[in-house]
Amino acid sequence: MTTAPKARLRPLAASLAGLLFFLPIYIVLVNVLKNGSSIVSNPVGLPFPPTLDNIDNVLSRPDHLFWYGLVNSTEVTVISILVVTVISAMLGHYLARSTGTLAKVAMVVLLCGLMVPPAVILTPITEVLRAVGLMSTVPGLILAYVGYYMPFGVFVFAGFVKTIPRELEEAAALDGAGAFRTFWQVVFPLMRPASASVLIFLGVWIWNDFLNPLIILGPAAGTTVTVGIYRAIGEHQADFGSVFALMFLATLPILIFYLAFQKQFVKGLTGGATKG
Amino acid sequence: MRTRTHVRPERSAVELARREDVAEGQNPVAPKQSPEPGRRAHTRDRLGRFGLFAAPGLLVYLALVLVPIAIATGYSLTDKNPFHPPTRWVGLDNFAGLASDGEFFTALRNTVVVTVIVTVVTNAGGLAIALLLDRRGWLYNALRSVFFVPVVLSAVVVSVIWQAILVDDGLLNSLLKQLGMDHPPGWLSDPSLALYTVSWVIAWQGLGFCVVIYLAGLQGIPQELHEAAEIDGCGPLMRFRHVTWPMLAPAVTINTVMSLIGGFKAYDQVQVLTNGGPGPGTTSTLAFQVIQTAFMGNHIGYASAMAVVMLVVVAAVSVVALRLLQQREVSS
Repeated sequence: MTTAPKARLRPLAASLAGLLFFLPIYIVLVNVLKNGSSIVSNPVGLPFPPTLDNIDNVLSRPDHLFWYGLVNSTEVTVISILVVTVISAMLGHYLARSTGTLAKVAMVVLLCGLMVPPAVILTPITEVLRAVGLMSTVPGLILAYVGYYMPFGVFVFAGFVKTIPRELEEAAALDGAGAFRTFWQVVFPLMRPASASVLIFLGVWIWNDFLNPLIILGPAAGTTVTVGIYRAIGEHQADFGSVFALMFLATLPILIFYLAFQKQFVKGLTGGATKG
Repeated sequence: MRTRTHVRPERSAVELARREDVAEGQNPVAPKQSPEPGRRAHTRDRLGRFGLFAAPGLLVYLALVLVPIAIATGYSLTDKNPFHPPTRWVGLDNFAGLASDGEFFTALRNTVVVTVIVTVVTNAGGLAIALLLDRRGWLYNALRSVFFVPVVLSAVVVSVIWQAILVDDGLLNSLLKQLGMDHPPGWLSDPSLALYTVSWVIAWQGLGFCVVIYLAGLQGIPQELHEAAEIDGCGPLMRFRHVTWPMLAPAVTINTVMSLIGGFKAYDQVQVLTNGGPGPGTTSTLAFQVIQTAFMGNHIGYASAMAVVMLVVVAAVSVVALRLLQQREVSS
């Protein structure tokens, strides 16, 4: 058998591919800890001695760009994902358990929403939000997300409901629990894996979103961290140290969130997805 | 004359019994043991459940997705522009205008190019890396995370990172100069290159998603199939061709459809990396063109016509792709 050289080839090839792939992120990480002149002279080298000047600059900006963005991003992301999870869990469960034609039609119409590009509906959404007085506000942005991500939530929850035996709900109903209690005390806790995937996916997507806050919040009503990065590169094109530090800080919260739930996230990606 | 109602099997037992009643008894108003109050309560209960569980979600979806699509369709038939009131009805003029609009066709072509490149690169690259990483051990686990990190990053962050690398005097070109290349390519400033650069950045970010899906697909293939093929004398290439590849069909479907839909949404990278340039619209995608026309040009009517076309194209492409790919799943 000639597997010995082959066996060493695989980890080598895999590591090399991984290193090449990771290079762009490595460049950000090392340059966050360097000052401007050594970024230019030695962009790829390790930061010796490391400096926290870039991070300090971003945190102490007089216009508080990072802090305001952080507050907005956190508020928008947390409220949006909680609202979508609760509402789409109820809707997904309802539609998956209904046998009527209307429910089936509603399901198809909802799933079509999965492929609508945000750019297509953004103009009319600004009109709808303006009509109810929520344009250029954080609640308006949250509302836009809730509508746009409802199909994804329903898709995940409706799929998951099929793994929950109907008998559990019937037993709860026989024991005298109303529909409300049955759902919140029996069904919803059982759907925890689905809730976790929805929360994590939407958390990442909404935190990272750019177009909606750019247009809906607009320049007047502040910014999210993502839009803040975009504004910052316009200001000081050359100062990559500060821009990298801002990106690093803006990514840190969602990266921690992701790492904490990593297993769940990947499970949500692959759970049943490739079984066809 | 009323014939016996055909009862569909999925009807509930109660309903079934009720229908049999009507069909069996010649007189429809014949003795019934007053089902009315119970039934009314049942209807009220169902309405209550609908209001409580389904209405909030459906309402939000209606108001923020369906109504906006309807509004966009309506606007596409007008010359709406907030700075030039009043809005007039122009019928299909906008669509006729699109048919002879060079910029629109450039954007359409660019979108197709980006989508095809991203779909091919993420699928081929994702499959290759998944095959490489399909082993147990800490090294492979760590590398999986490495490939997945960009998926969790904002497209804006990814674009800024690559911008630092790819601008004319950026990291890549200073490296190329050190290696002796006098005139390194203008990755983002050369009109004939920029679109491919943008596609590359989008593909780099999406690669990890495909890797994860393909890895899950690979792990779902029963080991016995590989062993059986090996006993039958199949080499690694034959095993891939006749075992791995057909068994991965569902993963291919997911990754392809996701990349296709993702390609059509491409906006952030264009905005940050090139702002549609260099030169007139060389990297402008449909999504970028719609946003520019609507919010920078204020031609809401015309942008809406573009959006309607975009929606139809996305729907058609994803339905056709889904059909074709799922057919493959069944036949294999």
